[in-house]
Amino acid sequence: MATAEVSSNIKKLQVKRFKPAEDPKNTYLTDEKGLWAWLTTVDHKKIGLMYLGAVAFFFLLGGLLALALRTELWTPAKTFIEADTYNQIFTLHGAIMVFFVLVPSIPAALGNFILPMQVGAKDVAFPRLNLASFYIYVIGAIFTFIALFNNGLDTGWTFYTPYSTTTTTSVIWVTLGVFILGFSSILTGTNFITTIHKLRAPGITWSKLPLNIWALYATSIIQVLATPVLAITVLLLTMERFMGLGIFDPANGGDPVLFQHFFWFYSHPAVYIMIVPGFGIISEVITTFSKKHIFGYWAIALSSLAIAFIGFLVWGHHMFTSGQSAVATTVFSFLTFLVGIPTGIKILNWVATLYKGSIEMKTPMLYVFIFLFLFSIGGFTGIMLGSLSADIHLHDTYYVVAHFHYVMMGGTLMALLAGLHYWWPKMTGKMYSEVWGKISAVLVFIGFNLTFLPQFVMGAQGMPRRYYNYIDQFTPFHQTSTIGSYVLGLGLFITLFYLLHSLWRGKKAGSNPWNSRGLEWQATSPPDFHNFDHTPVVIHGPYDYHKPMEEFQLGLAVSHNGHGEETDVKESKVTTN
Amino acid sequence: MANHSTTHPAHLHHHFVDSDQQFDAAKMGMWVFLVNEILFFGGLFCAYIVFRAWYPDLFQEASHELNTLWGAVNTAVLIGSSLTVAMAIRSAQKDQQRGLRINLLITIALACVFMVIKAFEYSHKFELGIFPGEWYTYTGFEHPKASVFFSIYYMMTGVHALHVLVGIGLIFWIYRRSVKGEFSSEYYTPVEITGLYWHLVDLIWIFLFPLLYLIE
Amino acid sequence: MSEHNHEHHISTAGQLWAVGIALLFLTVITVVFGKFVPIPSPFDIVFALSIALIKAFLVAAFFMNLYWDVKFNTMLLIGAATFFILMFSVTLLDTMFRVDVVPGF
Repeated sequence: MATAEVSSNIKKLQVKRFKPAEDPKNTYLTDEKGLWAWLTTVDHKKIGLMYLGAVAFFFLLGGLLALALRTELWTPAKTFIEADTYNQIFTLHGAIMVFFVLVPSIPAALGNFILPMQVGAKDVAFPRLNLASFYIYVIGAIFTFIALFNNGLDTGWTFYTPYSTTTTTSVIWVTLGVFILGFSSILTGTNFITTIHKLRAPGITWSKLPLNIWALYATSIIQVLATPVLAITVLLLTMERFMGLGIFDPANGGDPVLFQHFFWFYSHPAVYIMIVPGFGIISEVITTFSKKHIFGYWAIALSSLAIAFIGFLVWGHHMFTSGQSAVATTVFSFLTFLVGIPTGIKILNWVATLYKGSIEMKTPMLYVFIFLFLFSIGGFTGIMLGSLSADIHLHDTYYVVAHFHYVMMGGTLMALLAGLHYWWPKMTGKMYSEVWGKISAVLVFIGFNLTFLPQFVMGAQGMPRRYYNYIDQFTPFHQTSTIGSYVLGLGLFITLFYLLHSLWRGKKAGSNPWNSRGLEWQATSPPDFHNFDHTPVVIHGPYDYHKPMEEFQLGLAVSHNGHGEETDVKESKVTTN
Repeated sequence: MANHSTTHPAHLHHHFVDSDQQFDAAKMGMWVFLVNEILFFGGLFCAYIVFRAWYPDLFQEASHELNTLWGAVNTAVLIGSSLTVAMAIRSAQKDQQRGLRINLLITIALACVFMVIKAFEYSHKFELGIFPGEWYTYTGFEHPKASVFFSIYYMMTGVHALHVLVGIGLIFWIYRRSVKGEFSSEYYTPVEITGLYWHLVDLIWIFLFPLLYLIE
Repeated sequence: MSEHNHEHHISTAGQLWAVGIALLFLTVITVVFGKFVPIPSPFDIVFALSIALIKAFLVAAFFMNLYWDVKFNTMLLIGAATFFILMFSVTLLDTMFRVDVVPGF
């Protein structure tokens, strides 16, 4: 028996088997109580939860703005708000959803909680910077709110010059807010890269890293490389407005297209900051609920890095109609198609993982299937937008709106929901209602398609984006879309309610309700303040579902929870194989 | 291993295994941050390159308004301060408390000299009416895009000067801690990573100087 | 376990001074050639930037200790430089090949 064989080695190594305590007495939630303890905590789990709360708040706000937009578009011309208000609402919807929800959602909220646990560390490398990044996020948000109550903003979330240098709305507050927010993202990225490199528990080699960690690693690299360029861009834009710098504003001798280069050098890779961590979650969830080793571990791990790299070379496909040179346009179009390759590799590997797996249709898995369906549509329509001639027709229409909602909402948000349901028992120690989970997942799926499928059609027929008014021909599409958005909203509200409900009335979750082989499930639910009450030693990969659970609960039994020597594990590797 | 907790040094944070891991992590974190800084300045350099490629004659003409001598002096000053920071790290590594403090003080002094020279350069230009952007009123030479060069100049040197100011603050903080005797050959991580930051500030200037002052 | 796994490199004072003096010397050269000895047009900037690159190498390798450090930190620096080069060279693909330099002007 494999078990006996391993346990003899364990004795030799003085590695003990730790079965996590069910219903633990001491958890990170009971460690210190009170508001002040939360606000000053350096614990990555609490900071992750604070981020989660903040992201949920902004998602609610951005979502309500979206519902207002859809309601306004029920009829042509005015339904219930003025055109200027409409412009401000779509700008804020975009800015909030991109900068305050999608960018921090998975890395800063879920990633903060899960990453140190998956590498078997007690915390991230720089816990105080981690807390600082949260407060920087809050300060950035305050700046944006000042703009909201002080003239608003109507440039669209992209701040294109020269309109952004001439409009009377408060651009400077928002650009400063985004500038500050960037530092939060940079600090998170720096923290994650260092943690993954330096704080892995004994035995976690690069080939035993969970794919979620690979995805977060690729994300952090993009955050570190791209965010500073956004910072300098919005700084230059602020100065442009403040003293007419003349780098971007044609009235002062500048080049507005250069602004677009700068802006998209960040904002296109930022799309991958949003989606790549989602890929990581999908890899985790899909193996857990197929009870099968992931198909093509290295293909998925390295394709994350490939996406991160190629993602830096395609920003010009946002500028095909901007007056960019024909040479650049052709090169960008070609490079854009290349991104499809690593993304396709991922999708095919996930589907191959499902093959002959024993699939368990729990709510997280349901969201994975929704993700695969919606994200594939989003990806394929992206290929159409990446081809030059088609883009000339489709640029700045509802087709683009539908495309990026399929990618960002159908991709990132569905992955976030999958991850949130998957790790909810670990984070809170409580189970949510499976029945309501499935009902709301179905509602979200129906509502989402009802909202955005019609937009592909009307976009292809020429309905421009960001327009307040439209011709009668588009009325049925807009009305279907509006109804869909209500269904979608209902589904998400139900999710909010049953998740909150579970906090008080939910059944107690065991330490490993899904029988996952991941390291984070070998801690108690909710985890101890130091994550594990021993130093975890990792001998098997995180997806070895063919091995019995007992072989995974290994750790060094030292009271101070120090980490073991590298040599111990090398020895154990030799003897187990 | 069993008595690890009893030998826990005071500077070691709870989530690290030992001082080495903490030192390596801090240093790597700083390097990742420097990557940020390089791309942050990279945006400005990119704007410089684009406009210089468009208007080479403008850059040539306008750079005559900059004083090469003071630029060169400032380069020497920054190189000197980089040297003293490196010496400060060496002193810390060798437990020479006095050498550490003196080198840090010289660094702060040199950084202040840099800022004073910069202030003279700026005020001289302001007297001529060479302001950034819209406020530009100088009529010394004719080029329709003259103000753009100086906008780029002010943004590049201004952002760099901000980094120098931050550096002065950081080195002063390190100095205060060294007076309290917090650093030794066992623990000098803050000195080392502040030094890295300061060297990067020097490195950026090494490129700014020929690009802005030395165009013939 | 409290022993160091690897000793941190300590440069000698002589090494640091040598690097500092070399940097000052290179500064003098670049100023002299920049201002007093004319070099024909495309080569003057090549020369000035080559000197700057040598100086940057000296600072990075010996002041910032990369020469003795773990190689990953060098990779970070080279990576940052690579992405900066990608950024401006791809941008130049547009700005250098436009029909009108600034459309509408």
